[in-house]
Amino acid sequence: METLAESGIMLFVPKVYDIVWSAIILVIVALFFYKFFLPKFQAVFDERAAKIEGGIAKAEQAQKDADEAKAKYEAQLSNARVEASKIRDDARAEASHIVADARSRAEADANQITASAQRAIASQQQQALVSLKGEVGALATALAGKILGSELQDEKVQSSMIDQLIDGMDSDKQ
Amino acid sequence: MHETLLSGLTLAANGPEIPTVDEFLPPEILFAGTPFAINRIILVRLVMVVIMLAVLGVSAAKAKLIPSRWQGFIEWGIEYVRDKIVYEVMGETRGKRYVPMITTLFFTILMFNICGIIPGMNIAATATIMMPLAFALWTFVQYWRTACREQGFFTYLKKECIPQGVPAPVLIIAIPIQLLDVVVIRPVSLTVRLFANMLAGHIIVALCFSATQFFLIEAHNWMAAFGAATFVFGFIMTLFEGFVAYLQAFIFATLSTVYINLSYPED
Repeated sequence: METLAESGIMLFVPKVYDIVWSAIILVIVALFFYKFFLPKFQAVFDERAAKIEGGIAKAEQAQKDADEAKAKYEAQLSNARVEASKIRDDARAEASHIVADARSRAEADANQITASAQRAIASQQQQALVSLKGEVGALATALAGKILGSELQDEKVQSSMIDQLIDGMDSDKQ
Repeated sequence: MHETLLSGLTLAANGPEIPTVDEFLPPEILFAGTPFAINRIILVRLVMVVIMLAVLGVSAAKAKLIPSRWQGFIEWGIEYVRDKIVYEVMGETRGKRYVPMITTLFFTILMFNICGIIPGMNIAATATIMMPLAFALWTFVQYWRTACREQGFFTYLKKECIPQGVPAPVLIIAIPIQLLDVVVIRPVSLTVRLFANMLAGHIIVALCFSATQFFLIEAHNWMAAFGAATFVFGFIMTLFEGFVAYLQAFIFATLSTVYINLSYPED
């Protein structure tokens, strides 16, 4: 039992080789963690943080760009709308011009045609009258000659009768 | 304690092998007699250092921006020590400087403790007095250095030894106790807590399995049932030792951080 008690105390008395190896191991382990292990992982952590921050900045930039582009396109779109409506108004105005022009030209043409037609009718009427006068005279003379026979062979009587006839026709006509 | 264990279990004429504290004073097997002598525990410790440096070294060398599962696990460990131990106790501005130290302590103590339940090693690499003492001395040096830097040797000593609001007569007792605390008790308590936990854990597990070996396999009698029970208990205690391995590493790291933090002047 005494040996047990002795060894119990011995547990707490460091041996020289235990001191040596514990010290060596502590130094090795500490150097490993201080100089290699932790700096390596810290570098990875830092790089990751930088990357995430960079990614966020990039996303923000992209969002800004997209917003700008959208504003630009919207402005362009509204310009285009204004322009289109202007063009439509112009076209409408021009169309009404064209219609008005066409109408006035057509009216002028129609008036001209009417006028020339009336003139033609008037001259043809005149011609008809003149030729009718001549023909009716000859016809009447021939008719009267046949009716009156020889009695009317005298030139004087003949012409006075024609005149009388025509006059009578004129007065009848009027 | 060992005497009662002995008397309790040597009832059988040819009883089970009782683990004793001699297991923690194993014979030197290499370089015997020199300052570089190696016994079983130191061999386990050296093997564990090689394994730990190899595994963590390769993990660090292969560390990438996008972590693999394994790297994620290692990073979780690093962040656990940094956030849940160091920053939790002393905050980020003070703590940054001590993260490497506490990480070294936590990882190394955890790995060394785990050796106690690794088959083939079966003894914690922290199970000689000097290894926990080395860690404790590091903490000791660190909190004294911090005290001298942050508030000066005497201011710190005065602040620690003469607690505020304590009546003068009590100081007669308080000053020696407080002095003893900052100079001896802190490092020794760190050391003994870790060492004794590893020692006790090993003896309990070894006792259980030794009993299982004897009652279940060697002695063919009605005590076999007892052997089965000790096996189950030994199994549970092995798992518990795994937890204790972590817990002691956590306690050691946390208390080291607390002691260093006490070296700063009051907020």
